[in-house]
Amino acid sequence: MSRTLYWLQCGSCGGDSMALLSMESPDFTELLRILNIEVLWHPSLSNGSPDHHRRLLKELLSGDRPLDILCVEGAVVRGPGGTGMYNTFDANPKKDLVSGLAKRAKYVIAVGTCASFGGIGADGEIEATGLQFLKRARGGFLGAGFTSAEGHPVMNLPGCPCHYDVVGGVLTALSLGTSLPLDEYNAPLEWYGLLVHQGCVRNEYHEYRVEERDFGEKGCLFFYRGCHGPVAYGPCNKLLWNRRSSKTRIGVPCHGCTEPDFPQPYPFFRTRAIADVPLELPNGVDRAHYLAYKAMAAAAAPERLTKRKTRV
Amino acid sequence: MSKLMVNVPLNRVEGDLEIRAEIVDGRVSEAWACGTLYRGFERILVGRAALDGLVITPRICGICTTAHLTAAARALDAIAGTAPPASAVAIRNVALMAEHIQSDLRHTFLMFAADLVNPAYAGEPLFEEAMRRYEPFRGETAIETIRETKKLVELLTIVGGQWPHSSFIVPGGLVSVSSPGDLLQCRLLLRRFRQWYQSRILGCAIERWAEVRSTADLDRWLEESEAHRNGDLGFCLRFMRATGLDQIGRGTGSFLSFGSLDLPGGTAVRAPAGGGQFVPAGFLAPGGGVSEFHEEKVTEHVACSWFQDDEEARHPMRGETRPYATGQESAKYSWAKAPRYEGSPAETGPLAEALIAGNPLFSDLVRGQGPNVLVRQLARLARPAELMPAMETWLSEAAQDPTFYKTPGEITEGEGVGLIHATRGALGHWVRIEQGTISHYQIVTPTAWNASPRDGGGAPGPIEQALAGTPVRDAANPVELGHVVRSFDPCLVCTVHALQRGRSAGRVIVGAL
Ligand code: SF4
Repeated sequence: MSRTLYWLQCGSCGGDSMALLSMESPDFTELLRILNIEVLWHPSLSNGSPDHHRRLLKELLSGDRPLDILCVEGAVVRGPGGTGMYNTFDANPKKDLVSGLAKRAKYVIAVGTCASFGGIGADGEIEATGLQFLKRARGGFLGAGFTSAEGHPVMNLPGCPCHYDVVGGVLTALSLGTSLPLDEYNAPLEWYGLLVHQGCVRNEYHEYRVEERDFGEKGCLFFYRGCHGPVAYGPCNKLLWNRRSSKTRIGVPCHGCTEPDFPQPYPFFRTRAIADVPLELPNGVDRAHYLAYKAMAAAAAPERLTKRKTRV
Repeated sequence: MSKLMVNVPLNRVEGDLEIRAEIVDGRVSEAWACGTLYRGFERILVGRAALDGLVITPRICGICTTAHLTAAARALDAIAGTAPPASAVAIRNVALMAEHIQSDLRHTFLMFAADLVNPAYAGEPLFEEAMRRYEPFRGETAIETIRETKKLVELLTIVGGQWPHSSFIVPGGLVSVSSPGDLLQCRLLLRRFRQWYQSRILGCAIERWAEVRSTADLDRWLEESEAHRNGDLGFCLRFMRATGLDQIGRGTGSFLSFGSLDLPGGTAVRAPAGGGQFVPAGFLAPGGGVSEFHEEKVTEHVACSWFQDDEEARHPMRGETRPYATGQESAKYSWAKAPRYEGSPAETGPLAEALIAGNPLFSDLVRGQGPNVLVRQLARLARPAELMPAMETWLSEAAQDPTFYKTPGEITEGEGVGLIHATRGALGHWVRIEQGTISHYQIVTPTAWNASPRDGGGAPGPIEQALAGTPVRDAANPVELGHVVRSFDPCLVCTVHALQRGRSAGRVIVGAL
């Protein structure tokens, strides 16, 4: 029997859906076929008439039609003043649709940082929130105690956008009955248990403290350019984008877009530092030891790194 | 007389758009385009560091992300007074063009063509074939489009690290330059894609298509071979003619381009219309000629938008965004503002781009039948043919000169505008930096032009005007409205506007003092 999926876009840029189209081997349409997932509705791809869609929603909301997977992309918009009228569907606040469908679905998946934690609009007057978290605080729109029709909390798949292989992996796990252990933010450890830093081709520069002060100098971006790689959890540099590259690989600092507090309130391209030492050190390291090690490493840096000829 | 109001929440536009239409005796008498999502980006930008727009603004839109990044970087280039080196200009162009092409094809075959397989056309002789090609998730062209456009995204990833939402374009140039090997990979990907586009979409070489310079040429081209007729361009053309899509969706007849794709110094690429930009800027008044574009003539109205009233329309450098939700019953009905050029609404997008550049085929088509759904979509579907040869040249030129960045130093003070022609048309970022911090950020998006609500004088926007007069056979399945609206390729997530600090008061009124 096929599983049903409803894709809901709330306060979003559509980027998670766009990223999905980059899925390879199998691609997104093949994946759906192989796993026997029936997409009841996707806002960018389905072609039912508005009446058809209204009927479908009625059936889903009443429970007459079973819903296996609800994917939500984008933040739940609660503004102004809790009314949700900054984001409406058929003249009603879209947030009502979120709570209605979430009650019925067996699994609720927050795709992207906005749906997971509020993201871009979380500090704004649109009063954006994630489904079950607002930034680092449990609760969000559905509440800390929320569980789906089958007793699961919302699964968070942060990233701005979320990597398509993560969405594909989760759909596969749900379909094939493989369990995915979650971290403290209800994100699967499989993809959010490692740092963006792991797998970056600039690791050796990082090791010897060969740093970029301005764009394009070919070095690590941690000390001066604001790279969040060593503190942000996410699979960018393991999975890579289009199996090719990542932002840090080509020289864009990681902005920690998978983190619950993205976008962070401080400047993106400058490391917050005191006397040239970053305030935030790689997760888990001891400050004194780290500084001693960095001083020695910088002194030991080989010339092939300090006077580099290659691209990175 | 039978009169009916329908509310049509439209999907397959990027973002949230609802059309309210009054239908009198089976025809739309009046229509209102309502942007139903407000995300408040400006408020997020004001107070942040000068460069932060490079990270925040791409996230306005997951489909025009490189366009916003480019506009943001150009505004900062202007403030810093830097001109990026030639290779950086070339790669910026290539990235933007790759974004255009994947979007043009995805829009045509995943979003626009899905309406061609609407049950309303079940009786059409070409319907079965259309189903075979365009059925969502299953149609052959739909599936191939997903598979092949991904290769352009791969090219974007090589130069930009990730798509969507990278920040690799910075004032002064780029964060890095792709190695010669990577640029060769880009050229391979582009060639592969071009071969697919030629065989699947055009049914001929780009060079042959370029000889189609008039309506008569187009008819001859269509007659010439099975390959031309059965390529997806030829097939869509036949389907759209058979179903009368060249008869609906006229619009304002005025067209706008902000200009785009600066020619890098020393390039072999020539702009089709001459001048320093591959896509020229200009304004085309209904029935008139192209006049020179002046940035100061852009204003925004909020009379019918859910923002606090201004006495007058404002230039984006002076514009404010104070949301004011009044519900459904007042004059206000959209989260899109109403941008105007010299006071008039204007259509923007691939058709505007072609007409302002004086493209002979599209000028002739519009001379003959006026703007319509068919010609608008055809301009989008044929645009890649215009772009790909120049991309190839720029990729090869960029490999010759590895200078990709000229530091602008700290950006601390000044005003600047970043104007481009994004995939969907005229896009501008108006930015002011004070003491290294953003103090003003206004964005006017292509969809704000096309899906604009009425202005202070009551003039409807282009989509609203294009809908007027459209016949609707079945109000429960108003596929005709879908054609008209989607021919503009609206991207409603782009109408996001900012918000000043404000508290909610009463029912749904915010932003009061
Ligand atoms: S650039 Fe960032 S992710 Fe890469 S090695 Fe340096 S700190 Fe780690």
